Amino acid sequence: MTVAPISFDTPDLAIRLEQCSPEELDALDFGVIGFGPDTLVHRYNAFESEAAGLSPQRVLEQPLFTNVAPCLNNFMVAQRFEDAQDDSSELDATLDYVLTLRMRPVKVALRLLANPGGATRYVLVQRQPR
Amino acid sequence: MSRDSAAPNEEYEALIQFLYLAPVGLVQAGIDGQIAMMNPIAAQLLMPLSRDGSLDNLFIALEGVAPELRCLAERHDQPAGKICDGLHVHLNAGGAKRGPQILSLTLLKLDASRMMAVISDITEQVRRERRLRQNEAWLNAILTGVTDYALVSLDLQGRICEWNPSIGRVTGFGADIEGQPYAIFYPDDAITPEHQQDRLREADANGWALDEGRRLRADGSTFWGSALIAPLPDREPLPGDDDATPAYCLILRDIGDGRAQRERRRDAAYTDHLTGLANRRALFEAAQLELDRSRVNPRPTALLVIDADHFKAINDRHGHPGGDAVLRHLAGILGDSFREVDLVARIGGEEFAVLLPSTGLARANTVAERLRASVAASAASFDDNRIDYAVSIGVAVASDGGASVDLLLKHADAALYTAKRAGRNRVASWPLAPQADAHQPENPDVP
Repeated sequence: MTVAPISFDTPDLAIRLEQCSPEELDALDFGVIGFGPDTLVHRYNAFESEAAGLSPQRVLEQPLFTNVAPCLNNFMVAQRFEDAQDDSSELDATLDYVLTLRMRPVKVALRLLANPGGATRYVLVQRQPR
Repeated sequence: MSRDSAAPNEEYEALIQFLYLAPVGLVQAGIDGQIAMMNPIAAQLLMPLSRDGSLDNLFIALEGVAPELRCLAERHDQPAGKICDGLHVHLNAGGAKRGPQILSLTLLKLDASRMMAVISDITEQVRRERRLRQNEAWLNAILTGVTDYALVSLDLQGRICEWNPSIGRVTGFGADIEGQPYAIFYPDDAITPEHQQDRLREADANGWALDEGRRLRADGSTFWGSALIAPLPDREPLPGDDDATPAYCLILRDIGDGRAQRERRRDAAYTDHLTGLANRRALFEAAQLELDRSRVNPRPTALLVIDADHFKAINDRHGHPGGDAVLRHLAGILGDSFREVDLVARIGGEEFAVLLPSTGLARANTVAERLRASVAASAASFDDNRIDYAVSIGVAVASDGGASVDLLLKHADAALYTAKRAGRNRVASWPLAPQADAHQPENPDVP
């Protein structure tokens, strides 16, 4: 049985990702970082690992905003997850950002996903054509 | 990017992670500011400042908060070396938005084509240093050798209770100052009645209140003085006390000698290098203090935001030195147009702001309109050329401290935008009227 393919802008993506196996996440053509309410990273797919130059074992179980992606630790990203958690609201926002993959500034689109009841929040990373 | 994706080299990966996790921002850029490499903390700190969502150029990313950088880099004439070292860059006045308020920036020129930048968030460090400085000022006031001091008793309202010879020696005033407010020791426009009350309330709250600045003698001459106000012990009002019972003691001292050194130190941190006006930091600190005080002792506080019209066209036509001449000319007019108690600052490339304590909307509109007219009536000169230019002004007022500095600035900016949209060379004020609120130059809307 086949499911509709997952892309960066698929609606209701958090639920779909939740059901994905690690292998299925690795097959996606955009970066996936999943983390818990304590910000510890649970899921880190192959695309993101390759882009950042970091193997998953250096990243998994590390706090996202301080030890994995400190560049997201500001009001544009980290604060939005905190706010969503504080007001128990759903977060699904896409914004343009610049990541420093292997210290090169790279324009990306970020999609931020959080559900009030969900165990995992997601930051999705899509490269933008320059 | 076509990077090899061979088996991860442990050492390389460790090095990458070291840079990812370095708790300071690191940037390598061309001498024109074009960013070649940067680490995550640099992106964390710079992204919120980017106006177009990109981080291609360091100077452009920082233009809104440190307009002088490109100019500093261009003027650096050594083959290599520090362009600036720990420059304080003020982002906002704090408030609702979390995140850094002050960045430290060091620029190191590597060679003719490359430079490195180190950027870090020093908000907390500056806060700690400020507290230390206050302690230092307090010790100065008590311990520094001075030739003489005047000891003045003040009543609950801050009026001088009784003349004594020390007042005569230090200030030259005679017995006729009894019953006058202590503002008599301040030059005209250097203190408002509300500020006088603020100092008394601060003395009540903290046990003392201290300020330094220009003070006035009876003959009109001025000196650099420190004024320490402390509540007198046992001043619980007793039945039968009249208003003129001493409630505070004011120690007024001439500290002229140490002034130059302190001024220089203060100047470097609080002055815009191009115009000699106050900088963003000075404005944010003064505005925060004024709003804090006006919550305790309610009064309106006005902010003007002033922007030179068509400044880009001036730069294009006359070059950056011509643009700088306009900015200095405008700074000169600004410096001459306001009270001593007002604070005039350059807060961006061609953007200036003036903080007006104890000033309501009608008065603020009047002075803004007067300023607009006086800029329009004069011209900057550069290379024997006359450069005519105009300004647009946004006015906003916080009533009784009921706004943050950032909100006040946002309102003044919105009014400025309205003035620009309505055709420039205009004054507009917040709240914006339903229709174009910008005043016609010929028709200053002044009650």
